[in-house]
Amino acid sequence: MPNTDQEPPPRETIIKEKKVTQKTVLLAIAFLLLASPMFAQTPGGGTDWHLPAAYIAMGIASGLCGLGQGKVAASAAEAMARNPGAQAGIRFALIIGLVLIESLALYTLVITYIAK
Amino acid sequence: MWITGLLNSTLAGPANAVLQAVGFKVEDAAHPWADWLATEILVVVILAALVALLRRSFSVDNPGTVQHTAEMIFAFVKGETNDAIEHHGSRYVPFFGTLFIFILFMNLIGIIPGIEAPTMNPAVPAALAISSFAYYNWAGLREQGILKYLAHFAGPVWWLAPIMIPIEIISHLARLLSLTIRLYANMFAGEQVTLTFLGLTYFVIPSIFMGLHVFVSFLQAFIFMLLSIIYVSQAVAHEH
Repeated sequence: MPNTDQEPPPRETIIKEKKVTQKTVLLAIAFLLLASPMFAQTPGGGTDWHLPAAYIAMGIASGLCGLGQGKVAASAAEAMARNPGAQAGIRFALIIGLVLIESLALYTLVITYIAK
Repeated sequence: MWITGLLNSTLAGPANAVLQAVGFKVEDAAHPWADWLATEILVVVILAALVALLRRSFSVDNPGTVQHTAEMIFAFVKGETNDAIEHHGSRYVPFFGTLFIFILFMNLIGIIPGIEAPTMNPAVPAALAISSFAYYNWAGLREQGILKYLAHFAGPVWWLAPIMIPIEIISHLARLLSLTIRLYANMFAGEQVTLTFLGLTYFVIPSIFMGLHVFVSFLQAFIFMLLSIIYVSQAVAHEH
């Protein structure tokens, strides 16, 4: 019988997943500690962090915007499939949702240009 | 642009006088007229010419193409307005229609090579957002009177007022900012993307991004108008 989503997974799967998560977290911490020679830098003469920070900020903003818009598009497609008569209203809500979420990523773009 | 050069050579004096009267520091006294201002005036002239052309050929029985298009746009704007505002929506339709057509033409004129869209300069969306902000506040004040309109800021119950009033004021100012930045960033980013891809690949490939830019132009004009409609509908809403 396939394991449907209605009942919780068996205990062994939960323990195995927890161990995998613990190992992943410890591996990530080990990789971060690999950068410890950075502590030996001499102070003064700081690098200019404006551009790298702008790149990272824009990347995070675009990524999260993509996630949000993906959810909107998925819900709209499913709703239009379930209820083909309401397509006009759903399409309207889809467009508004996409534009408003897009504008959040664009605010980050504007800040990128200002901070340069 | 040659229009800007023409304006600078003939009307530089009055422009400097106006700027100094407002208190704006003029950097380049020989060229007070900017490209985006000349393009905006060009868009207004084009729209006026289109409407003049339209009025000559008005006909009930035999409408031409331009009249059909104008009727479609009008029905669209009026439908959106009446969806959001319950009664007396039609008195606000001229402003929303103007916003939509003006922003649409300003966005689209940037597709023509050699002409830069005025909305790519942050001043133009800021001016449009200020006019929209002033309009919805004026509509709310006119509809409900000063005291009742200001009482809106206090929220639903009186004892929440000290916390609601700053939040409402900030959210209203954030509407100004978001309208500006949404339009400006969409237009600016569209052009930047096309330019970036022009530097990366062959000559014709970035035209896909220009197509996307046309779609985004329509969308942003529509969204600006729609948000203005929503703000006006919130400002004139009577609680029954």
